[in-house]
Amino acid sequence: MSAFLRNSTVRFLARRLAYSAIVLAGVMVVVFSLVHLVPGDPIRIALGTRYTPEAYDALLVASGLDRPLWEQFFSYIGSAVTGDLGVSFRNGSPVTVNLLDRLPATASLAIVGLIVALLISVPAGIWSALHEGRVSDAIVRVSSQFGVSVPDFWMGMLMITLFSSVLGWLPSSGYVPLTEDPLLWLRHVTLPAVTVGIVAGAIMTRYIRAAVLEVVDAGYVRTARSKGLAPAVITFRHIVRNALIPVLTIAGIQLATILGGVIVVEVVFAWPGIGRLVFDAVAARDYPLIQGAVLLIAALFLLINLIVDVLYAVVDPRIRLS
Amino acid sequence: MRRTTALIGAGTAAAILITGCSTGEGTDLGGTSGGLVAAIAGEPDQLDPHMTTSYFSFQVLENVYDTLVEPDENLEMQPALAQSWDLSEDQLTWTFNLRDGVTFHDGSEFTADDVLYSYNRIIDGELSNAWRLSAIEDIVAVDPHTVEITVSQPSPNLLSNLGGFKGLAIVQQANVDSGDITTHPIGTGPFALDDYTSGDSITLTANENHWAGAPEIPSVTFRFISEGSTAIAALKGGEIDWTDSIPTQQVEGLAGDSEVLTLGQTPSNDYWYLALNQNREPWSDVRVRQAIAYAIDRDAIVQATSYGTATANQLAIPVQSVWYSEYDTYSTDLGRAQDLLDEAGVDDLTLDLMVSSDYPETVTAAQIIADNLEPLGITVEIRSPDFATWLDEQNTGEFDMLMMGWLGNIDPDDFYYAQHHSDGASNAQGYANAEVDGLLDEARTETDADTRKELYGELATIIADEASYIYLYNPSVIQAWNPDLDYEVRGDRAVRFRDVSFGK
Repeated sequence: MSAFLRNSTVRFLARRLAYSAIVLAGVMVVVFSLVHLVPGDPIRIALGTRYTPEAYDALLVASGLDRPLWEQFFSYIGSAVTGDLGVSFRNGSPVTVNLLDRLPATASLAIVGLIVALLISVPAGIWSALHEGRVSDAIVRVSSQFGVSVPDFWMGMLMITLFSSVLGWLPSSGYVPLTEDPLLWLRHVTLPAVTVGIVAGAIMTRYIRAAVLEVVDAGYVRTARSKGLAPAVITFRHIVRNALIPVLTIAGIQLATILGGVIVVEVVFAWPGIGRLVFDAVAARDYPLIQGAVLLIAALFLLINLIVDVLYAVVDPRIRLS
Repeated sequence: MRRTTALIGAGTAAAILITGCSTGEGTDLGGTSGGLVAAIAGEPDQLDPHMTTSYFSFQVLENVYDTLVEPDENLEMQPALAQSWDLSEDQLTWTFNLRDGVTFHDGSEFTADDVLYSYNRIIDGELSNAWRLSAIEDIVAVDPHTVEITVSQPSPNLLSNLGGFKGLAIVQQANVDSGDITTHPIGTGPFALDDYTSGDSITLTANENHWAGAPEIPSVTFRFISEGSTAIAALKGGEIDWTDSIPTQQVEGLAGDSEVLTLGQTPSNDYWYLALNQNREPWSDVRVRQAIAYAIDRDAIVQATSYGTATANQLAIPVQSVWYSEYDTYSTDLGRAQDLLDEAGVDDLTLDLMVSSDYPETVTAAQIIADNLEPLGITVEIRSPDFATWLDEQNTGEFDMLMMGWLGNIDPDDFYYAQHHSDGASNAQGYANAEVDGLLDEARTETDADTRKELYGELATIIADEASYIYLYNPSVIQAWNPDLDYEVRGDRAVRFRDVSFGK
């Protein structure tokens, strides 16, 4: 064996990469089958009131559904790999363009939302665990329970009423690209991101608290204390670093979830994200667009999982070796 | 813990940064300066006026395109791209004189060829509005500014078919051929498409050269805000100037907010109806149909489907139309209904009621109707397929009763001919009455407006008496806007911004 393959980190990554590729191939098969599994004739349904025999034939040929199944499958996979996801039933525009148009807004919401969630959950979770059983712990636990249970629709309307209608600090809805005006971008992204971030942050707080609790009484922490290390050093070097693994997992899942579209929040704030695109595509039975979106969301999930796996290896050497 | 504190500090600083520059009053939160920002309840599926069926598309396209003629606020047809027209003695040849000096937004000249291209595109492609042009035999460009249309029979409703809405807009061939029309349409209308941000908004800028004069406002931005509560908050906060994304349950509350918004409400030309399948027993018996008409509670249906904002109507045409005729034969009268069923000699009926999940008001109404018919011993089985399936089953006659609506009609012929003539294209319920057929044919070609109105009043009465359709209500057009804006709601749901201005 070459030295390259013996390098455990590289081997670990190669394994994860191969695993992701297999999952993605599986997703492609499912996505391809989608059009053939739904009851009824997808072309007839997509045309709805616009149905005429001519329009039917035109769309049938344009969508390639008149060709043999195996040919459709390989043509779909072949095109998808090169980034061609077909054209939307509704207006004939490329699905890839439709999706890419929405990606900046979705990425803005996901990244700012995750930052908000981390700003809430990291301090709250650690504080709560280090003060287990005290009043401050109870307050954190009750608030996080509240954050998890509250519907995001209600939270969004509350944000709009308070910060937009009553205080007039921030716009209620809409999106401005970062590249156009960074300040306006931030003003528009704040309310939806805080709404998303509070819910995600509440979930993450509970995980972080549990993770810190698990290590706070571990032997090496006791040893560190008995060595007389400063409490801050113990907290950050010994407790937080060891508690980081589950936090990474849950943060990755939350990020991927927001990237995949938080339909309710996007609807409330009229945010032009992937979620609303999928919602509209489903309502219009625009199968190529639905397929493309599912594929994109799956790919994003896998990518983030892969990044999280890499970060595991960086944070915890034991994972590289297993 | 010092680092934690620093993180919280950073968060607070960011909060001050983004909100700090706002004083909470007089701040422009993203509006276009001097322009109008309108929030519509969804995103257009595409912007080709001949292909789309989405109302969201037409809200935008109303301001981008022109038709040969167009309805005024009383829904009477007025000159638009055609400045005048003549009708031959035999009523079979219409000659339209087109306006001189009209240009498309890209500067190219508008001529008779554009009219020919647009209408032929609809007719030859058998597009969804082809039926509106079904009377046309031939279209000829006599010269660059004259179009001659020959019809197969006298057609007083030709004008409303050509100009009733922007589905019959005059488009530019180059724009169609390039495929750009679906996202960047080029029209002759008062505003030109400037920018389209997917999922967010469409911005139009004023066409200074428009034949009706340059619009007073420099631009219109249509934002897509499907959540009504958000749209209302944005309107109250001054972020938008106009919206029709209004939940009907909030209408009553908004009436009290006249300081910050003006609420406009008018019955629309749309109507919702029930139809019983007359090709099936026992619904072929007029007495059984009348029994159903007496049993249903229109007011309860209006309340449940629209929070009382719709107007109950026992005929199709709404009260504000010049074609309205009075009719109030039916009232909720279970005794009368039972007598009619007894006369017909039927009892213990089962009724297959088909509504569509794509139109939630039909599903809501179906529950009430089932409840209304129960005391008569009629068991209502409700089905709510998607609209495509609904259409299929309507056309194959797979129903006892159905509920649906007709939208966007203007001429009385649109309201009655296709639905109730024994040869009508939309007569799925199988109504056949020689007298009504005669009246429909006569009214269709009658050119004297008063006589025409009488004919329609007469035939509509027979249709309702015999319960070919059981008419339910006309929903309202509900819109709200900035009190500084001089705007009026139209019954045909057209949203026209070319004449509006701020600061009255």
